[in-house]
Amino acid sequence: MSLVAIETTELTKVYSSSFGKRKVEALSGLNLRISGGSIFGFLGPNGAGKTTLVKLLLGIIFPTSGSAKILGGEINDYKVKSKIGYLPENHKYPAYLTGGEVLDFFGKLSGLNGLELNKKIDEMLELVQMTKWKKTKVKNYSKGMMQRLGLAQAMINDPDLIFLDEPTDGVDPLGRKDIRDILIELKNRNKTIFLNSHLLSEVEMITDRVGILNKGKLLREGTVKELTEKKEEYKISVEGTIENLPDDIKHGAKFENIGGGYYSFKVEDTQGLNRILDQLRNNGIIIKEMVQQKNSLEDMFISLIKEAESNANAFTKESVK
Amino acid sequence: MRNLWIMTWYTLREAMARKVFIFFLIISLLVLVITGLLFGLASNVTLGAGGGMSLENPITHIEMMIVAPLAGLCLLLAIFSSSSFVPVMLEKGNIDLLLSKPVSRDQLLWGKFLGGILVVFLNIAFLILGIWLIISFKFNYWDFHFLYIILTVTFTFTVLYSLIVLMGVITKGSTLGMMLAYFIFIILSPLFYVAKYQMGAFLENKMVKQVVEVFYYIIPKTSELMGKVTEYLVTGKGIDDYQPVLTSLAFLILTMGIAISIFRKKDF
Repeated sequence: MSLVAIETTELTKVYSSSFGKRKVEALSGLNLRISGGSIFGFLGPNGAGKTTLVKLLLGIIFPTSGSAKILGGEINDYKVKSKIGYLPENHKYPAYLTGGEVLDFFGKLSGLNGLELNKKIDEMLELVQMTKWKKTKVKNYSKGMMQRLGLAQAMINDPDLIFLDEPTDGVDPLGRKDIRDILIELKNRNKTIFLNSHLLSEVEMITDRVGILNKGKLLREGTVKELTEKKEEYKISVEGTIENLPDDIKHGAKFENIGGGYYSFKVEDTQGLNRILDQLRNNGIIIKEMVQQKNSLEDMFISLIKEAESNANAFTKESVK
Repeated sequence: MRNLWIMTWYTLREAMARKVFIFFLIISLLVLVITGLLFGLASNVTLGAGGGMSLENPITHIEMMIVAPLAGLCLLLAIFSSSSFVPVMLEKGNIDLLLSKPVSRDQLLWGKFLGGILVVFLNIAFLILGIWLIISFKFNYWDFHFLYIILTVTFTFTVLYSLIVLMGVITKGSTLGMMLAYFIFIILSPLFYVAKYQMGAFLENKMVKQVVEVFYYIIPKTSELMGKVTEYLVTGKGIDDYQPVLTSLAFLILTMGIAISIFRKKDF
């Protein structure tokens, strides 16, 4: 498998209204490099351009400018898709087909046939726990069953790169856990997974790297750890109160009461942290618990989007002046 | 080629899942049963080459009397039921999946086009072959020219279907394509045929005459294909004038060419 699964260079997509009067930049000069064998989570509010990127990479829509490669091949070469799987957000299967027939149809279109395809269909249905529904028409499937079938469809050709748009949408918690386990298993088999999801906690659990997109622009990209850690910020729980202690004991650190008997504070470095802890103990403060502060992906995501929005508003006001 | 066949085959399956095609099959079956009963109850005369008199025309006329209105009905039903093949393929969630597979856009559209034609061909063939077999057995007269109807009806449908496909690609809906196909089949084609060949002498205004000429050649000649061309082929005279066939074929090639070219560049 290629070392770089996805590579985009200044990829831009502008949608125009019928008469070209109104233009919307859905994706703006995106540069992205995703290594093979990893799970990449793509986050962003509605309308950020996440689905636009996936559609561009799969040749469902065409770029206005820029270029992109998937698995080393140009995106306009349809043959490169033989090693790609895709689960769209609102997938639709022909209602007159059974689950098994849906997999047969898409398996054939992916180049499989005969015994190999039949074996693969059974294997995939078993993997997503849908074997007993193989001969049931998809019009009778629930949302969760459709998602499971969609996942099986996306994996039928044993792809090296899988695009999943909200794969756990409509699936119950146990089913979600099953899907997460499947994705981790795929990653262990050196497959690359590109995951679009609104469920940030889920993305946090399984992704190696995360990209955050807003209004067509990539705001941040990195590992979950890089994006969520708060350097040298700690949370402490003590018996008694810290607020009334003199500043020299606190070594200039500002303790903020965050409720529930907890205080948060920042230090310069580890030595500074130890100095403060020694002083607190020497002054009879009993430390019950201390943890390094960490943002959840959701906290980080919300603050980043808010920051981007306020910057954009400030820029607009400045332009008006 | 393999992908083309897969798309064609699944279009056939889609058609079979629709009630209109089942309805047409039931009507065809009913017509065959009634025809069989009528000719079964008729006096048992053996007609044909050995009968001492040429009954070629009467038999062909009997066949045509049964088939002509049915062929028209078949075309109307075929236009109605096939008009949604392309729009359904282009629905969100469906086209995304198809385009994510290693299949070219040309193969997808040609597959839908050929699938639609195959469906209508099979329906027409079932009806025409059935009637032909019943009457041929009854009179022991085997007129193979009669089977040309299968080709002329299928070709007429193909020409109109190319327009339905083009409109489907442009609008992602079935209504406009279906309306245009009906408009050409029921009104425009017969109208311009009459205007050119039967009213030509009465049209004094040169400009009106030119407009009639231009429109006559642009619009597919469905009324001539289903009328004069079919009649000449069935009666064994052969086609005396290829113009209606060739101009209709040119229309088909042009509309499919435009449809493919738009489909190749369209965002979904």
